[in-house]
This record gives sequence, structure tokens and C-alpha cells, in this order.
Amino acid sequence: MTHRMMNMGRGLGSTRLALVGMFLLAIGAALSYDNPAETPVWVLVVPLAFLAVNLLAAIATNPRINRRGGLLVFHLGLLAIIVLAGVGRLTHFDAQLEITEGTPFSPSDLTNLEKGPLHSGALQQLAFVQGSFTVDYSSGMVRGLTHSQVLIPDGQANASGGGQGWQTKVVGDDRPLILEGYRFYTTFNKGFAPILTWIPEQGEAISGTIHMPPYPLFEYKQDSSWTPPNGQEIKFWLRLKTGLREDAAWVLNGKTATGVLVVNTGEQRVELEPGQNVQLPGGNLRYDRLTTWMGYKVFYDPTLHWLFGAALIAITGLATHFWLKVGVRVPSSHAAGSPAGSIGRLQKMPETTDGRFL
Amino acid sequence: MNDMTGVISRATELPWLWAGLTAYVLATVAAVMGILRAQVATVGSMAVVRTHEKFVLLMVSMGVALIAIAIAERWMRLGHGPFVNLFELLMSQLWSLGLVFAVVYWRVPLLRPSAVVALPMMWVLGGWVLALQPVDTALPPTYHNDWLWAHVGLGKIFLSFCLVGTGLAGVILLRNTQRFASWFRHVPADEVLDALAWRFMLLAFIFHSLMLTAGAVWAQDAWGRYWAWDALETSSFLNWLLLGASIHARLTYRIPIRVGAIAIIAVFVFAFITYFGTPFYSEAAHKGVV
Ligand code: HEM
Repeated sequence: MTHRMMNMGRGLGSTRLALVGMFLLAIGAALSYDNPAETPVWVLVVPLAFLAVNLLAAIATNPRINRRGGLLVFHLGLLAIIVLAGVGRLTHFDAQLEITEGTPFSPSDLTNLEKGPLHSGALQQLAFVQGSFTVDYSSGMVRGLTHSQVLIPDGQANASGGGQGWQTKVVGDDRPLILEGYRFYTTFNKGFAPILTWIPEQGEAISGTIHMPPYPLFEYKQDSSWTPPNGQEIKFWLRLKTGLREDAAWVLNGKTATGVLVVNTGEQRVELEPGQNVQLPGGNLRYDRLTTWMGYKVFYDPTLHWLFGAALIAITGLATHFWLKVGVRVPSSHAAGSPAGSIGRLQKMPETTDGRFL
Repeated sequence: MNDMTGVISRATELPWLWAGLTAYVLATVAAVMGILRAQVATVGSMAVVRTHEKFVLLMVSMGVALIAIAIAERWMRLGHGPFVNLFELLMSQLWSLGLVFAVVYWRVPLLRPSAVVALPMMWVLGGWVLALQPVDTALPPTYHNDWLWAHVGLGKIFLSFCLVGTGLAGVILLRNTQRFASWFRHVPADEVLDALAWRFMLLAFIFHSLMLTAGAVWAQDAWGRYWAWDALETSSFLNWLLLGASIHARLTYRIPIRVGAIAIIAVFVFAFITYFGTPFYSEAAHKGVV
């Protein structure tokens, strides 16, 4: 390095600038407080980039940091965290999913997609089928654990020699379903879904489900509507029996819940039990049975484990620095006529020459 | 709505909690009396200075044991640890702050005089917890996670080391006032206290960094994202930054010892607000309830 470059590096890497950077980062963080979505991302990116350059310059030029192993590892770890967080934002993927019991996952069902410009995951290859679920509630309607069954391909040909076998897995809350790095977390968002078949006067019958609003959050408002092709709007209201109790523990279980479907076209109002049907203008509507849907939060970030590793290495570096450098400097000679007492091995060491002990 | 007399009669932990707090109060009184007696003793007379210390240590330890029983009672009744509402948080902090302070008090005699500052801090928590109703809580689904233990435990160590630093910083500031100067005549010079206090603050910083890391892992498990600038995350990040910046400022400039002491207290106050204010500012944000 030339003399001039060295000087420039020292200027760029000064700890005064680090303080400026930290101050700017604090402002950025304070602005993001509780509403990151509405805060422009540069309020964080600019200070972080500033700190990264400052830190790089300091590491290159300042012996107070680059000659002290532990401290160096700590600051390199911080730098790695900044870089990894950046890479994470560029490659991440976030979405919501509502999936009906008994149906396979399809990427086209994802909503509220958000992804980094460099995201390239194997979303199309993900395969699982949603099974049934239960959710525990304790008294006072406090939600407990969710147990959501999913079927995933087990990768082996099944007994009959053809196709694939499936393996059942139970996920829920903090145990996500992880496929190709995509993490599916169950949410409080889940509910019931009547399966309906519409048999038009002409043409082919179609079957589908209607996802009623989340349950029990919208227990009082289990309604929805649908307009059949060439028909008029049908309003649905689902009268559920789930065993819900406010004053005691209960379990939300789609297998034991029952529901009567109230169908309303404006002129006509009928109550259907599963299996029953009704003739409506333009076709015949059958309420096949009741099923459920589960809401997932989908998350993908390839840097997760690296970030964790970088944080641990950084902190280990700082702890080493503390142990070897800071812990041994104790100013015992300053003790003014008092029992300085034993401070372990620390006390035996001489104080630093510059009067600063940390 | 629960009727309050019912809540209190069921809360069998309360007598133990009250007893524990009483022990802390006795420890504080003994620490102050010890200092007052030392005030009239001649410099260098150790016997006078130290006789009360065993009693202080005994009382803090007893307080820790009694609050541990209170926590255990409640734990057995509710089936989960003290992690959910403010009553539980304060109670468990009273326990861990006392525990770490007792260990440090025992192992680092140099800082024993700072008990007259550190112990009254616990009264703030103690007074607060007494003002709350010990209502029953249920453990949110996201709390069934091993990282909870790491996160909470590391946070407790961080706050405890902050308390130790604050006790020393308080002594530095108090002894420079006319009223209290004579209280701390026997205490080592400001430089010594300053060095010791900042050593604990660097340790606190290490534990804070660990707490943030464990918290991020838990957040990933609990909410499917490791960081989202929610109120509690941002507040504790700012707290971390404030401590990091203070450490840096001290290395970069010759900060007067008293200004450094104020910075330590500022970090502690910030941590206090982060711990006991923020989680209750936005109910659902960091509690995983819905
Ligand atoms: C980004 C720019 C940064 C630069 C240029 C920088 C530079 C330095 C330098 C040169 C030292 C050694 C100082 C000395 O011993 O005189 C140091 C120490 C330290 N830095 Fe940084 N740093 C930066 C960021 C950070 C950040 C963001 C944190 C945490 C919030 C941090 C925490 C620390 C700690 C805890 C020490 C240890 C001090 C000790 O010896 O006790 N640094 N830094």
C-alpha cells in the first residue's frame, strides 16, 4: 500500500466515522420502528454501507483492530452479517398460502408474494398435500399448539412398483415444513371450507371449495359468496358446531366439526346438510361435505444458517478478546485505602499505560 | 373478567414473593448502614467497613431463594414458566438480578459498596410487581421453544451485568456530590470503579449480542422471520447500538469518567424500558398471542 492510500484508509477507517455511522444507523432503526413496510429501505442501507466501508478501511489500516485476533474476528463477523443480510434481501422469498385439506400445493395458490430480485428457488418442484389439523385452545380462547398434517413424497417407489409413496409429517407453530429451503409456517389463519359441486343446466359439473373467514377469529361471521358461470350471486353462511368454548379448554378439529350451509340467492333461502342439494337459477348446487383450510406463511432465505454462524463466530471473537485482553487489565494500584479484594486472576496483572482499561 | 380477590387468594406465590422482597429490603438497609458506619471509621480500618457484608450477601441470597419458591409455586400451578405477563417478567427478573448480583457481590469484593445503588434499583421492580395483579396466564404457542430459554437466560445475564455496571456508575456520580461524598470515602478511586464498570458493560454487550442472536433464531421459528423491526426488536437493537457506540466513544475520545458513568446508566435505563415497557406497548407484536 502506498503512503497516500494508507492515509486515506486511516481517514476512512477512523473510529470517529464509525460513531457517525452508528448514529445514522440508530436513526434508520428508529424510523423503521414498528413499521418497516412504510419506511424506505435506504434509511438502513445507507448507514450499513457506510459502516461496512468504514470497517473495511479500519481493518486494512488500523493495528488496534487488525493486530488483535479476537477483536478482528468480531468486526469481520459484523461485516459478514451486513453482507449476508444484504444477500438475504436480494434472494429472499415471502408469501402467504391458504391450502385446502386434501389438495396438493400449487405455487399459483400463493398470495402476497414478495421476493428479492435475485431469487431463484425451486418453487415449482415443491410437492406436498395438506392433511387435517387440530388446534388446542385453553380457557379464554387462548390459542395453543397447532398440529397440521402434511403428506410429502418419501422418494421411494411404492409397494405396487409404480409412482411414489407418501410420508405423513406433523408441522405447526415453530416446526415448519421445510422443502428445498422453503419454510412453511402454520399461522392463526385457518378455517373451514365447504366443498360444493355446481351442476349447470348445460355443460359440465364443477367442484370446488369456498374458504370461509378464519376461525375462530371470525366465528360470528362465517359467510362468503360465489357467482356461478352464467348464474347469479349466491350468498353462503356456515352454521358451525365445533365444540368451541370460551370458559374452558377445547380443541378445534375439522374431523369432528359439522356445519350446516345456509344458501341464499335473494329470493330463496335453504339450509343444506352435507350431501344435500338445491335447485337454483341456472343450475343445481350440491353441498358435498365440510372440510378445512390452513394458512401458511412461506419464507425462503438461503443466508439463514450463514447468518447464525457469522453471529456466533463474531461473538466468540469478542469473548476471546474480552478474556485475553480486557479481562487481564485491572487497575489495582488505584485502590484508595480499601479492600480491593480478590477479583480472581484479573488482579495480578498490571494496569494499562494509557490509563484506559477497557 | 376475573374477580381480583379470587385471583389473589389463588396466587399462592404471593407470600413467598413478599418475603423475598423483604429480604432484599433488609439487604439494602444493611448495605446503607454499613456504609454509614464506614463513613465515621478511619480510612484503612477494614473491620468496620466489612462486617455488614456477610449479612447483605445472606439477605440477597435469601431473597433469591424465596423468590425462586414463589416462581416455582406459580409454575406448578399454571404449568409454565414466568414468561408471559409483566407480573411474571418482573418476578423472574427480580430473581435473576438478585442471583447474579449475589454472585458478583461475593466474588468481587471491590464493588460491594455499590450495593447501596444497585439494590434500590431492584426496589423499583419490587414496587412495581406489588402493584400488579398476579392474573393467570397461558403460554402462547410460540413459547414452546427451546430458544426461549436461551434468549431469556442470556437477556437476564445482560441486564444483571448492566445492573452491576450501574451500581458502580451510581457510586461514581454520588461520591462527586457534596451530600454523599463521605459515604464512599473507603471506596477505591473513580478510575478503578470506572474500569470495573466498563468491564461489566463489555460483558453485558457480549451477552446482549448473544441474546439478539438467540432471539432472532426464536423469531424465525415463532413468526417465520428472523428480524422484522418490530417494537421490541428495534428497541433492543438500539440498546445494543447505544452500548456499542458508548464503548467505541470511550476508546476514541477521552470521555470524562462521570460522563461515562452517565452513559452506563443510560444503557441500563434504555434496557429497562426495552424489557418492561416495549412488550406491553404493542400487545401482540412480540407475544405471539392471537
Ligand atoms: C463499522 C465500523 C467500525 C469500526 C471502524 C470499528 C473499529 C474498532 C476499533 C479500531 C476497535 C479497537 C479500538 C481500540 O482498542 O482502541 C474497536 C473495538 C470494538 N468495537 Fe468496533 N468498529 C466498528 C463497528 C462496531 C460496531 C457496529 C460495534 C457494535 C455495536 C462495535 C463494537 C466494538 C467493541 C465491543 C469493541 C471492543 C472494545 C474493547 O477493546 O473493549 N464496533 N472497533
